[in-house]
Amino acid sequence: MSEQSTMLLLGVGGAGSAVARRIATSFPGSVPYRTIDTDANAGADDSNFILIGGERLSGRGTGGNIGNARLAAEESVEQLDGALANVRLAIIVTALGGGTGGGATLEIARHLKKNGISSVVFATEPFSFEGPERTKNAQTVASIIEEEASASFFMPLDMLVDGEDNMVAALDGAVNSLAAAVTLFWRLTETPGYIRLDAERLRLLFSQAGRGRFATFTASGNGRVDDIISAIGSSPLLSKGGAHPSVRSILCGILAGEDLRLSEIGAIAGAIRSTFGEQATFELATVNDESTFAGKISVVTMLLEGDGKSGADEVPGSAISSIKRKSRPGGVLAHGPQGRGRFNNSEPTVHNGEDLDIPTFIRRNINLDF
Amino acid sequence: MSNIYAALEIGTTRTVLAVGEAETGGRLKVTSHASIPSSGIRKSQILNITQAATSIKSVLKEIEKHEADGGHSLTIGNAFLVVSGQHVKIDSYQGSTPVAGAKVRDDDLVEAMRSSRGWTLPKDRELLDIVDQTYTLDSLGGIASPKGMSGRILKLDTLHIHADLNRINDAKTAASEAHLEIREPLFAATCAADAVLTDHERRNGALVLDIGGGSTGYAAYADGYLMHAGVLGVGGDHVTNDIAHAFQTTQAQAEEMKIKDASALIRLQSEGDARVKVPGASALMESRSISRHALDTVVNARLREQFSIIRERLEELDLMHRLHTGIVITGGGAAMRGIDTLIQRELGMPVHVGIPIHVDGLAEERHPESFAAVAGALMYAHRNYEQKSLFQTIFGGLLK
Repeated sequence: MSEQSTMLLLGVGGAGSAVARRIATSFPGSVPYRTIDTDANAGADDSNFILIGGERLSGRGTGGNIGNARLAAEESVEQLDGALANVRLAIIVTALGGGTGGGATLEIARHLKKNGISSVVFATEPFSFEGPERTKNAQTVASIIEEEASASFFMPLDMLVDGEDNMVAALDGAVNSLAAAVTLFWRLTETPGYIRLDAERLRLLFSQAGRGRFATFTASGNGRVDDIISAIGSSPLLSKGGAHPSVRSILCGILAGEDLRLSEIGAIAGAIRSTFGEQATFELATVNDESTFAGKISVVTMLLEGDGKSGADEVPGSAISSIKRKSRPGGVLAHGPQGRGRFNNSEPTVHNGEDLDIPTFIRRNINLDF
Repeated sequence: MSNIYAALEIGTTRTVLAVGEAETGGRLKVTSHASIPSSGIRKSQILNITQAATSIKSVLKEIEKHEADGGHSLTIGNAFLVVSGQHVKIDSYQGSTPVAGAKVRDDDLVEAMRSSRGWTLPKDRELLDIVDQTYTLDSLGGIASPKGMSGRILKLDTLHIHADLNRINDAKTAASEAHLEIREPLFAATCAADAVLTDHERRNGALVLDIGGGSTGYAAYADGYLMHAGVLGVGGDHVTNDIAHAFQTTQAQAEEMKIKDASALIRLQSEGDARVKVPGASALMESRSISRHALDTVVNARLREQFSIIRERLEELDLMHRLHTGIVITGGGAAMRGIDTLIQRELGMPVHVGIPIHVDGLAEERHPESFAAVAGALMYAHRNYEQKSLFQTIFGGLLK
């Protein structure tokens, strides 16, 4: 993959840029990326660096002020346009809670949307010990990003790291975890295995996905599949309060060496589907990379809860759209426009992927005794 | 000359206009109010400017007729606009400043406030309000008045309430066609809360649900300030639409069934008449009857979902346990039969209908809760524009 790729990686803010560079280093010359920050020093050695808000902030950063970051991004976002030629899907990595990450990401996601480019945002939320204010700010920004991005994954740092680690190891673990998920996009297209998933199919999968959850698992040895299945079932990153509510779509990437067996793929896929909903759209892809995964299996699981969007990106008649029709009992597609009645031409009210303009008794399958 | 103000709400179901005047002693009296069915509005957004303008003209005419009947004559030149709809959004934003001296002084408070206004909205949004919440001094949060306290960094939490600029401009255009200038757009739910909540409720925690035709606004208060607010794009029109779809009626028939026959609670079959008559949609069509139980079921399902979503939103912010005095409902949807009990069950706290207690003049009104938002907008105008005359007068005792 080259600069002609239809996918582009964007690292926003200090932490997001660090992740983007780490991923790019893993695929030298293959991952087109840009790093974006308000701090000029952060990009001193990076030829892919874009300084935003240079005039307003003089390259000194936002001082933790999200408003400054939004202004900086709003003023400078067109600098990104040169990198957007042919791009269909942008993957944004960032950290919320500070200034640039949150403020600039939502403006960038909005800019991408205006240009018809799908975007998937991976963002970390602050550690709980950083205080409720930062958490609250992060959650507020997350809710806005969620509206602008095609799909978004927000991960509390508390859940990405081992509490017993020292600070350096913990942050390194968080960066690795985030990088592993994002790297999947390039591995799936660079080193596909038995089951391929091309970039356009990925874009369609995420084009109206809304908020999601993801986790990565790695195991080796004889019981590696059992270990992974067990970890998936107990992962707090994939559950909601310990439960596993059904989701709309699942993307499962299995990365392994050449010893990956079809029975192992089947066991992992089956376990994920039975845990998170047999009716969900299920996209599976594998990567065979002996140099990286010899003897190991890594599984990246992404759960997409709903469609928060109009579906304008969807390709009529595509495999994905037809699967979603089945898997969305309460959605727009299941009931067609007639169920919306007087709201037929109105902007839909969407909650957890359901179009609330469709009568509740229909979406809940309530029988009426006429 | 006393100050007179007007407030306009272009609702999905009804267009409401109220006129208020400052009384001796500082209270505000609603001297005229009118409400007429809206047209050209869907989900709190204008779809047809001309039809919306016609509704505004009609309600202006009714007010002016009312004033004329009282021996007064005035032309309403401008009004405050009450805004709702799912395009209204609320963002939290924290301003911060280093404390200049050893203790917090007025200058620090001003600087924290200035900093809290640093959130710049996108060009397609219009700011409706910035609500100050509490201060944090270093790690000590929840401070109402930090002046004189010692610390290094002073922060002020605020809520920024903003709306889609195009939707506001559409309302201004419709008003302009009716020869009415819009002074300021204001958020309906907080306006309603201003009009109906007591200080006791604000301090001890209360939730205001402003139930409109196209959307439901909410505003949660505790410790004397606004903790959170929002809008769910579901209102009474959704109930009507559900009924129309379930029983294959026109929207007008469904609206009539909702008002006359339906209940938010599913009544027992033995209570009264178990069948509801549905007139034919035209003179050529025969009337028929449907099960009242089915009608209640349709309405109950919609309303339970509507309020459970609001409960979920408040639970996510850990606010439910802070609403010690309960829920106050306002707006046209508050008149729905059984809705107070349904909300009480769904949210698990006492509910009462909100009367605009801080203004006079609505005592004779059958549904004063329908005028809560415009009453709150009049209070806002009275607080902030006390010295300014908002009307062009022709003649008449009211303005002398």
